[in-house]
Amino acid sequence: MNIAPHISAEQFDIRDFMRLEAFPHFLCPGCGHGMALRALMWALYENNISMDDLAVVTGIGCSGRLGAYIDANTFHVTHGRPLAFATGLALARPDLHVVVITSDGDCLAIGGNHLIHSCRRNVNMTCLMLNNEVYGMTGGQVSPTTSATRYTTTTPGGNHEPVFDACKLAEAAGASFVGREVTMQVPTLKDLVSEALLHDGFSFVEIISDCTEIFGRKNQLGDSAEMILSQKAATRPDSYGSKVDTPFRPNPLPTGVLARANRPEYRANLVPAKQKELGGG
Amino acid sequence: MDARANRNVTNVLIVGVGGQGVVMVSKVLALLCQQQGYDVKQSEVHGMAKRGGAVFGHVRYGDVVHSPTIPAGEADILVSLEWAEGMRWLDQLNPDTGIFISDTHKIVPPFACRNRRRGQVPVYSKETPAEILDEVAQGYALDAAGIATRLGNERAANTVLLGLMSTALGFPEEAWLDVICDFVPAKSVEINKAAFLEGREWVKTASVPEAPVVADPMPDPGPEFRNELEIIPAWCKGCDICVRMCPEKCLELNADQVVVIPRPDDCTGCRICEWLCPDFAIKLHTVAVVQPHTDEILAEV
Repeated sequence: MNIAPHISAEQFDIRDFMRLEAFPHFLCPGCGHGMALRALMWALYENNISMDDLAVVTGIGCSGRLGAYIDANTFHVTHGRPLAFATGLALARPDLHVVVITSDGDCLAIGGNHLIHSCRRNVNMTCLMLNNEVYGMTGGQVSPTTSATRYTTTTPGGNHEPVFDACKLAEAAGASFVGREVTMQVPTLKDLVSEALLHDGFSFVEIISDCTEIFGRKNQLGDSAEMILSQKAATRPDSYGSKVDTPFRPNPLPTGVLARANRPEYRANLVPAKQKELGGG
Repeated sequence: MDARANRNVTNVLIVGVGGQGVVMVSKVLALLCQQQGYDVKQSEVHGMAKRGGAVFGHVRYGDVVHSPTIPAGEADILVSLEWAEGMRWLDQLNPDTGIFISDTHKIVPPFACRNRRRGQVPVYSKETPAEILDEVAQGYALDAAGIATRLGNERAANTVLLGLMSTALGFPEEAWLDVICDFVPAKSVEINKAAFLEGREWVKTASVPEAPVVADPMPDPGPEFRNELEIIPAWCKGCDICVRMCPEKCLELNADQVVVIPRPDDCTGCRICEWLCPDFAIKLHTVAVVQPHTDEILAEV
């Protein structure tokens, strides 16, 4: 971290890094994705990462639209495939900071295959998964992270499927940095994203976001202020650590840095000739 | 001094905040009295204290003790491990013969800092020790935490006060030390012994400190700042998060469901609204207040 926190809080103005002609953005009132975007931009600012050295790859969904507002090199790619695109980008341009902004449906359902293999390959990039428990943009269908008994347009009688714990999945698949935070804790989230950005290898951060207009309304979870407070109440700064006997999805959910492994980054496994062929650094 | 007035029961009230060792002091005293052959009743409230909440312990001993709690205004000794807690319990002390023993160490609770603006003094007991000691029959105020810190561990402050209290009760020094050494963990026996003896010694050179000692004095506020909230009405979608989360409640939505700041002077610059605004419609600027230069003032005159 190059800038003292209290100075960076004063100096950081997210508007310096946004495509202002696109504002106000298209997200619904009270959507947590905006806070997550602020945390990302703040972390980049604190680490003095220039927008020219940043490549943001986004998939489809509400989270996918965030890339359109960042004044950097941004790619809006096919549904579920941002990690696949980003893998190629990170290998070809190791000088860039590659950030993938994806969401529960994009990353875990449609792109679940890409997620586990990105974790396994350990390519140097940062994956931010904005988990709002629902397919918001397409009308509120059930997603792999929708909590049990919640109503969505495709589960009118309440969801009965178990919930995916994306952090456990990423850790088991080999991601060398795994973290989780709620959007409400913006400064903490900023620090977590900052660590993920500096990590050499595949870093996966689950950001628990709120979908007030579609998910919250259908389930009578209150307005956005109530939703972010209840999300905070349902989490606890903790780590799975060596706890063997954790339930499939613990409650309260642990947050913070959940796993960190010292694994060689993808390029380190390549023979030098192959590294040269790939170019870059 | 002798607190054992011509009555059968001696009442000692020990107060403080969570984590200071109030219960340790009351248990040591109760054990000692038991060993000396008295009928002892000890009761305490510490459940909701955690760290920083109020804790108190009643110890009553004598030939026969019936009730475990001390009647109001009949405490013979009030031992306070924290300055403001001592103030709070003063009315429990016997007004004619009571002995007041207090640490001048301050632990300022978060609720005393309701006003979070720069340079504000927390709302806390403003009486000096001299003023308080004038009001009680017999009083001692000392910087026990400072003494304990000098001995090597601030947490032994309770034992310093125990040492001072022991001079008022007249049991032999060896009996006190035996109980303390049995009670405390083996690794802290030495410091507790030293702290106890230091407290006993202190009474001989007793002097009233000028003012309560603040554990964490408020940092120098530095240059004066003004908080200016920049709101971009066109970007605000009226989600109400900032209005609900503002700790000072100085924001509200207007008729167009756009956030406005009707009470700008209440803003303390905590930045919660800026951070939580999903639409980036709020930016807080802290602007240094420029003091007019002396020459300019003179020119105006």
